[in-house]
Amino acid sequence: MLIDCDVHVGYDDLLDLAPYLDGPTAELVRHSGSNGLAMPSYPWYHPTGWVRKDTYDADSLSMGRQIPGQSLVTVQRLLLDPYEVTFGVLTPDEAAAFSVIPNAQLGARLAEGYNEWLLDNWLTQDPRLRGLIVVAAHHPEAAAAEIRRRAGDDRFVGVFLPGGARIPYGNVVYDPIWQAAAETGLPVVVHTHFDGVGISPPVTSAGHPDTYAEYHVLCGSGMYGHFTSVLLSGVFERFPGARMVMVEGGLLPFLAYLWRMDADWRACRSEVPHCRRLPSEYVWENVRFTTQPFESPPEGEELWPLIRHLRPEQTMLFASDYPHWDFDEPTHVLRLLPEDVRDAVAYGNAADIFRLTAPVGA
Amino acid sequence: MRASDIPDRGVAMVSIGHHRIGIMRVGGQLHALADRCPHRGAPLCSFGEIVTDIERLPDGTLALGEPGSLIRCPWHKWDFDIATGTSPADPAMRVRRYAVQEDGEEVVVCLDRPDR
Repeated sequence: MLIDCDVHVGYDDLLDLAPYLDGPTAELVRHSGSNGLAMPSYPWYHPTGWVRKDTYDADSLSMGRQIPGQSLVTVQRLLLDPYEVTFGVLTPDEAAAFSVIPNAQLGARLAEGYNEWLLDNWLTQDPRLRGLIVVAAHHPEAAAAEIRRRAGDDRFVGVFLPGGARIPYGNVVYDPIWQAAAETGLPVVVHTHFDGVGISPPVTSAGHPDTYAEYHVLCGSGMYGHFTSVLLSGVFERFPGARMVMVEGGLLPFLAYLWRMDADWRACRSEVPHCRRLPSEYVWENVRFTTQPFESPPEGEELWPLIRHLRPEQTMLFASDYPHWDFDEPTHVLRLLPEDVRDAVAYGNAADIFRLTAPVGA
Repeated sequence: MRASDIPDRGVAMVSIGHHRIGIMRVGGQLHALADRCPHRGAPLCSFGEIVTDIERLPDGTLALGEPGSLIRCPWHKWDFDIATGTSPADPAMRVRRYAVQEDGEEVVVCLDRPDR
C-alpha cells in the first residue's frame, strides 16, 4: 500500500473560485486590475518547465496556468492507478500564495473559497483523495476558525502552511493556529512554497538569488526556519497535541539543523524555557518528514548511514510531488530504503499522522 | 515508416516488439533512441522536447549549439544528445541507441546498436 503525501492540484484561474466565494470577495476577484485579481508569483521562471511534460497536452496549453492540463483523469492515469496509491494527500499550488499576499483578510476569504472548491472538484470525486485545509497564516484567528469549521470532515487530514511567511511559525502570533490544530488532531503541514514571494523575505539573508537554479537549491530554507522556530519556541510543550509535517524540505538539512539545535539548546536553555527537552525528543514524537526531494548523493555513495539518524521507520512519509519536474518515482525511492522500513515510509507513518485507514481489500 | 513521416524538430515513434523507439533527424542525419530515460525511466522520446543547447564560448559569450540536437526528458528535464545518447550534464548517463538508416523513401530501424 502507498500513501503519497504530496500531490499538487490547482485551479486554472483564480476566477474558478468565484462561485465558492462570498459576494464581495467574488466581486473583487472578478473586477480587480485589468483582467481580474492576480496572485504574486516567483521572480524566477523555471528554465525547463515546472511540470512534467507528459502530464499535459502542449497544443492545448494556455499561458500562465500553474499546472497545465491537470484533471482528475490525468492524476488517476499517471499516478493513482499505476502506482496503486491508496491515498493521495492533495497540496495546493497557487492557493499557497493566500498566506503571502499583504491583505490577510482577503487571503483568509480566498482560502475558505479554495477549500470549498477543493471539496467540490477533487475530494468528492475519488475516494482515494484527501485534502489539506488551506488557511491564511498571517490571519491566525481566521485560520483557526477555518480549521475548526473543516475539522469534522475527514476528507481534510491536515492544515497547510507554506514555507514562505512573514515570521516563523513558532512565534506566539500563530498560537491560535496551533491551538486549533491540537484540539482537532490535525497535523500542521508546512510545505516549501512561495519562499521569497509576496510578504515573505528572501530565501537567504544573503538576499534574493539571481536564478531559479539557485533558488531551488535553497527553497527549503523557509522550512528550516519554521522547523527551528517551532521546536525552540516550545510549540509542542504549549500545545501537547500538536503535530507537524515538513514537506519538500529534503531530509539531510533537517538532520544537520537538529544536531545543531540539540547542541545549542544545552547552552541556550535559559532563553527558550518553553523548550523543556532536547529538541530532537519533540521531533520523534511530533514531527514527520516527507521524502521528496530525496537526496541525490553521487553514484556509489550511500545515503542510509546518514538518514537513518532521522529514524525513517518513525518519521518518514513517502511523497512524489506529482506533477512537478522534481517528481520522485515511488518505486525508485522505496528501493533505496532498507526493506524493514519500507512499509512504514510507504504507508504506516502517513496513516498514523493523517489518521487514515485503508479500505477493506486494499 | 517513410522518411517524410519524421517531423522536423520532432519525434516519430515506432515499436519493435517491446522496444519503443523514437526516430529523430539532426543535421539531416537520422537517429533512433529508446523511449526510456536512463535516469528514472521516463518516456524520453514520446514526451520529450527537442531543444538546442546553450553553450558558453571560451571568450565568455553565449551561443547556440547545433539546432535541435538535444532531447529533453519530460520528467526531470535532463538533456540528451540525440546523436550520441549521452547527457551533457552527466556523461555516465546514456540512452540506448538503435541502428537506423534511410533506404530510398523508407526508414529502416533494427534492434542492433549503431556502429558509431
